[in-house]
Amino acid sequence: MYPKQEVVAMLLAGGQGSRLGVLTKKLAKPAVPFGGKYRIIDFPLSNCANSGIEAVGVLTQYQPLVLNEYIGNGQPWDLDGMHAGVTCLSPYQAVDGAEWYSGTANAIYQNIAFIDRYHPDYVVILSGDHIYKMDYSEMIAYHKEKGADCTIAVIDVSLEEASRFGILNTNPDGSIYEFDEKPKHPKSTNASMGIYVFSWDKLRKYLIEDDAKEDSDHDFGKNVLPTMLEAGEKMFAYPFEGYWKDVGTIDSLWDANMDILNPHISLNLKNVYSRNPMMPPHYLGEHAAIQNSMLADGCDVNGKLEFSILFSGVTIGKDAEINSSIIMPGAVIEDGAKVLYSIVAENAHIGKNAVVGGYPEDYPNRDDWGVAVIGAGVKIADGAVVAPKAMIDQDVEV
Amino acid sequence: MAVNKLAGIIFTNLGDEKLPELTAKRSLGSVPFGGKYRLIDFALSNMSNSGINNIGIVVKNNFHSLMDHIGSGSAWDLSKRRSGITILPPYNGISFENRVMALYQLHGYFEHLKEDHIVIASCECIQNFDFDKLFKYHLKKNADITVTYKKMTIPEGETAPMALTINDDGKVTDMLIKFNSGEECNMAVSSVVIKKDLLMNLVKKCVSANTLNFRQNILQDNIHKLNIYAYEVKGFCEHIASISDYYRVNMALMSKDVRKELFDVDKPIYTKVRDDIPSRYGLTSKVTGSLVAQGCKIDGEVEGSILSKGVTVGKGSVLKNCIVMQDTHIGENCHLSYAIIDKDVVIQNDRSLMGYETYPIYIAKQTQI
Repeated sequence: MYPKQEVVAMLLAGGQGSRLGVLTKKLAKPAVPFGGKYRIIDFPLSNCANSGIEAVGVLTQYQPLVLNEYIGNGQPWDLDGMHAGVTCLSPYQAVDGAEWYSGTANAIYQNIAFIDRYHPDYVVILSGDHIYKMDYSEMIAYHKEKGADCTIAVIDVSLEEASRFGILNTNPDGSIYEFDEKPKHPKSTNASMGIYVFSWDKLRKYLIEDDAKEDSDHDFGKNVLPTMLEAGEKMFAYPFEGYWKDVGTIDSLWDANMDILNPHISLNLKNVYSRNPMMPPHYLGEHAAIQNSMLADGCDVNGKLEFSILFSGVTIGKDAEINSSIIMPGAVIEDGAKVLYSIVAENAHIGKNAVVGGYPEDYPNRDDWGVAVIGAGVKIADGAVVAPKAMIDQDVEV
Repeated sequence: MAVNKLAGIIFTNLGDEKLPELTAKRSLGSVPFGGKYRLIDFALSNMSNSGINNIGIVVKNNFHSLMDHIGSGSAWDLSKRRSGITILPPYNGISFENRVMALYQLHGYFEHLKEDHIVIASCECIQNFDFDKLFKYHLKKNADITVTYKKMTIPEGETAPMALTINDDGKVTDMLIKFNSGEECNMAVSSVVIKKDLLMNLVKKCVSANTLNFRQNILQDNIHKLNIYAYEVKGFCEHIASISDYYRVNMALMSKDVRKELFDVDKPIYTKVRDDIPSRYGLTSKVTGSLVAQGCKIDGEVEGSILSKGVTVGKGSVLKNCIVMQDTHIGENCHLSYAIIDKDVVIQNDRSLMGYETYPIYIAKQTQI
């Protein structure tokens, strides 16, 4: 018998994140490194810890090894309590067969037993690919105050952007009357953030009904939420103010990292928890020139660094030049190499005088330019050149 | 009863008097070092990495900051079913003035240890050391006691706490206390391995005879009665016995080779972790030849310095050859050189403080300037 938890959070972390290309070749998207020492999943997990949520289920499916190991017993996020904590939930075999998680709603459906153990009043559904800081307890208070069955967090986006999001059209009291998925002519600018609070008894009922429907994709956005709205359940939009970014693409991942370096953007990493590798402080050599950058422990830098983020244990050689780039743990950039507007994944090796990426101003045709990505462990030979926008997952010779 | 197993004892107040400024509000073991460590991290990590599971930490006074640092011991992987740390404060409220009296008070702790050998270490020694190799040597030589030493020439005007004369087999034939011949000698360093029962007996005898000097009465007096062997410590091994040593050994970390050896990736030095954000360098920063921990925000110029966790350096400030401890704030347009600035100090805008290489100035914890 488990003590009752008022709220259980379920974190959807099983997606492949195929738009991140080589970065998610051997890694689930939520495990992608972010912001100099974090992984994307640190944000929702830290939000749970800072919102007083003690029971968290993490739904894993695609390449779960690194993610499972990283989450471990949940201690960095205070999720290692005696009666509740973080639990990784992978698809499993049962008496009536085995099935993968076929959709977001199906993943939760398959884990009804996990949620029931805690007899919660509310379940929060989160995704593992957003960078934001939010106190879920305020959203739950709003849900209670409105007497809602389902509350969806929304953020105000510009009218141009609105066509890329799921838009929620609401009455003056905040209640939702219409879902508008990627509308050509948006009626409002309330974009869904993919964060849902449900009253558990209601959600439980709709999940069971949805599972029985043959034609359903078992997806929250496509199936469960519209069905609930049609049935007249009380659904509200919860307006969120603050930094929020979906980091599902290379460009948005790069942007969100650069946002940390921008003093005009309100993304504060305080109270975001993570595992900490055991390394000495970073060392800046005689030839180091570092401006507007962020460095983690264990780096050894002797080159020029501007608008860049170095994760732990990165080595930058003499006369190397790093600009507007993200260099993930353990990568080595040799003497004289240039890394411009790029993402270099873990333990990659950039040889002497190699050039990776380029300055956007050097490419009059903007379609030729983009952020270059070097996959984990890839070796770029001395003097080799990697064009902007390239995505490299095999060693490059000269 | 298990045979041939080693337990650790770490003295954390030994040498407090040599660093009076830094130990005013803490014990030697919790003196900050190298931007993110405390001195005890070296002994604790070395023991943990050498497979020593039971470690007694002897504390005497001012040990709140040390206990806060150590916590459950999990940061050193010493909080498991089969391993652990035990904090050993004065027993029965009776404080002790020397190692012999402290060990005498530990007889209850020793009796319950399943290990039959003890390694005694202290916190003033900065090294990445394999206690397991030392222990294997001790067993191979069938020694009663094994002392460690380092070959070095003592500078003029200083003395080695203890120098050893050793025969070809490695057996100690003579020990000289406060020695300096001006030539290379075998200077004893802090770690000593000894059979547990023997240690308990020797300590009891010393207390009965009121001869309470560890080096003289436990070691020197027994050279011809016991099998005392010596084990050479090679590589980086530095002792901190004065504030100028403290400054010099910190600055030794500027060498890549020293960092590589001391912070060996296969045998890391562990410490209590704080969730700091990676360090931020602003548009006006210029930092060279420096060691910087996480959580710093630097907008000024820093050269040849060590900045600990959470330090801020304002625009226009120039720091040269300084050691700055955690969460100290340095305002704008300050000029500081050869200064050791303790934790939580606030230096207001436009201040200047200058020390000298052989005489670095020290600014106490929580000072406002």
